[in-house]
Amino acid sequence: MVVRGWRWVVVALGLAVLVALPALVEALPADDEDVSPADLRAQVLASDDVAFSGYAISSGGLTLPVSDALTGVADLLSDQTALRAWYRGSDDWRVDVVTPTGETGTHRDASGTWTWDYADQRASRGDDPPLALPTAPDLLPSALGRRLLSEAGDDELSRIAPARVAGVDAVGLRYTPADPAASVSAVDVWVDPSTGLPVRVVVRSAGTATPALDTRFLDLDLSAPAATTTAFDPPPGADVTAERDLTDVDLGRQERADLPATLADLGRRSFDGVPDQIGAYGSGITVLAVSALPGRAAGSLRDQLERTPGAVVDDLGVRIAAGPLSLMVAGTSTRDGGSGTYLLAGTVTLDALATAARQIQEAAR
Amino acid sequence: MIAVELRKLFRRPRTWITIALLNSLPVLVAVLLKVTDLAPRPGEGPAFLSAVLTNGTLFPLAALAIVLPLFLPIAVAVVAGDSVAGEAQGGTLRYLLARPAGRTRLLVAKLVALVVFVLVTVVIVAIVGYVVGTTLFEVQSLGATTAVSGTSLTPDQVAGRTLLSIGYVTISMLGVAAFAMFFSTLTDSPQLATLGALAVLIGSSLLFTLDAASDIAPYLPTRYWLSFVDFFRDPILWRNVVRGLGLQAVYVVVLLGAAWANFTTKDITS
Repeated sequence: MVVRGWRWVVVALGLAVLVALPALVEALPADDEDVSPADLRAQVLASDDVAFSGYAISSGGLTLPVSDALTGVADLLSDQTALRAWYRGSDDWRVDVVTPTGETGTHRDASGTWTWDYADQRASRGDDPPLALPTAPDLLPSALGRRLLSEAGDDELSRIAPARVAGVDAVGLRYTPADPAASVSAVDVWVDPSTGLPVRVVVRSAGTATPALDTRFLDLDLSAPAATTTAFDPPPGADVTAERDLTDVDLGRQERADLPATLADLGRRSFDGVPDQIGAYGSGITVLAVSALPGRAAGSLRDQLERTPGAVVDDLGVRIAAGPLSLMVAGTSTRDGGSGTYLLAGTVTLDALATAARQIQEAAR
Repeated sequence: MIAVELRKLFRRPRTWITIALLNSLPVLVAVLLKVTDLAPRPGEGPAFLSAVLTNGTLFPLAALAIVLPLFLPIAVAVVAGDSVAGEAQGGTLRYLLARPAGRTRLLVAKLVALVVFVLVTVVIVAIVGYVVGTTLFEVQSLGATTAVSGTSLTPDQVAGRTLLSIGYVTISMLGVAAFAMFFSTLTDSPQLATLGALAVLIGSSLLFTLDAASDIAPYLPTRYWLSFVDFFRDPILWRNVVRGLGLQAVYVVVLLGAAWANFTTKDITS
């Protein structure tokens, strides 16, 4: 019996080695480097010219109660998105969203972007609008890390343990926003110390262990990709269109809005391309946008938010939170909206939203 | 011994009936497409089926995508499940093992015969697909084919990548074959061995759709089956193809090891 059993022992040992191997490789400690949080942030912000190609996975943990028009954004923030990227410079890159049987590719050149959609056989040209909804290329760890750290203060930064990401011993940086209105509890960024390139970004919200967003490279090659890889010419037979951007969409900017200079202790600021009717407040990753809503849109959105589990409905309006993102329809309580109705959206707490709504009402009196 | 197994396999009428049945579905789909002129949108339905109305040379790929999820693995499980258990059920296993070649060599010979069966089956599906596709649909003799990434592929590139796909699909079936062959050494009933392999296949396909199972998804035998589509991205996305090949290799090594450990120590009574 002992003689017979040795074969099974060999098979069991082989199986154990194969099963344990990925976990053992994962458990290998990553090397750390002695670099200050401020210096590391500066390296990240200067990594805009680092060429690379890679494969990344972004996992969103948010469930957004949005209409059909915004399902693309909702999918990005709630699902897993596989991204293939080639980056030669800030105006010469390509990011493909890869699905099992298709893909959507964004090709950036000096004057705009080509977006190729295999499912629709459509190539659309965009001209770098100043105001745009989040798209898949924004979720790439390199782009998201630079964006989220761009306004972080030195006193909000700390170092965290290194991690091995896509074969890189990446050093860790944590950005904990100091603003009491912040709904993002921390942003963890792991950075390739040799180039400053962010290789993994995790956005955390208070009160939940599941990250709101976790995006990381699985493969990374720091050599420059060929220009022919990032370039794009619409294939013969493709439907070629111009991309519709947010400047074509009615965001309520026909509505008159008298917005205060501060809301919930967040100062108002201006962004290129954001019309005056939309108020932008805050800094860093604690931001709030306020827009007057046209009547019909207000009624429909209010109904939708009221049906969302966890929605808070009171005399200020209706507000909900999806992870660190919060949304509120504030103002008149008529079912069809009407003048005096505002949409508030941002990465602030529900309490901050309520304060902001109250201050808007007071300013309007 | 390998030649004996191959002769035995390909002289059986049921082997060819299986291959014929396997080809019937893509042919039916092609006829329906031709008659109705209704192809699915790109990205919907089986991979590449949307493009065959305008380019019949892509139908071998569409045919592979049609049979890959169910028909092909069923055929492989039936033949592999029969490999040892069928001999036991037929009462011929004792006579086979009376030869001096030994049980390990018999297992290897059975596996090689299986690999050849899978390759022949996949190649026949591709050939029938090519003949049907170029007969029923338009053929772009000069124009280039649009890759998934929106770039253009020359006819030579399409042919080369189709051959790569055939090889990849063949290797993707080896995991199912190894499961069925292992089960075939556990039982004297080929049906039970086939059903066991199909249960694994269905379980794997189901778990792959669950977010809750995402941590084990990379290890599911069906995880990378569709990655032959990655040959038609530009540049080719090798990541999942390489992982798919590695995963099948691991399943084959582990399950053949288990089959070997079981079969070489088993009391053969039939």
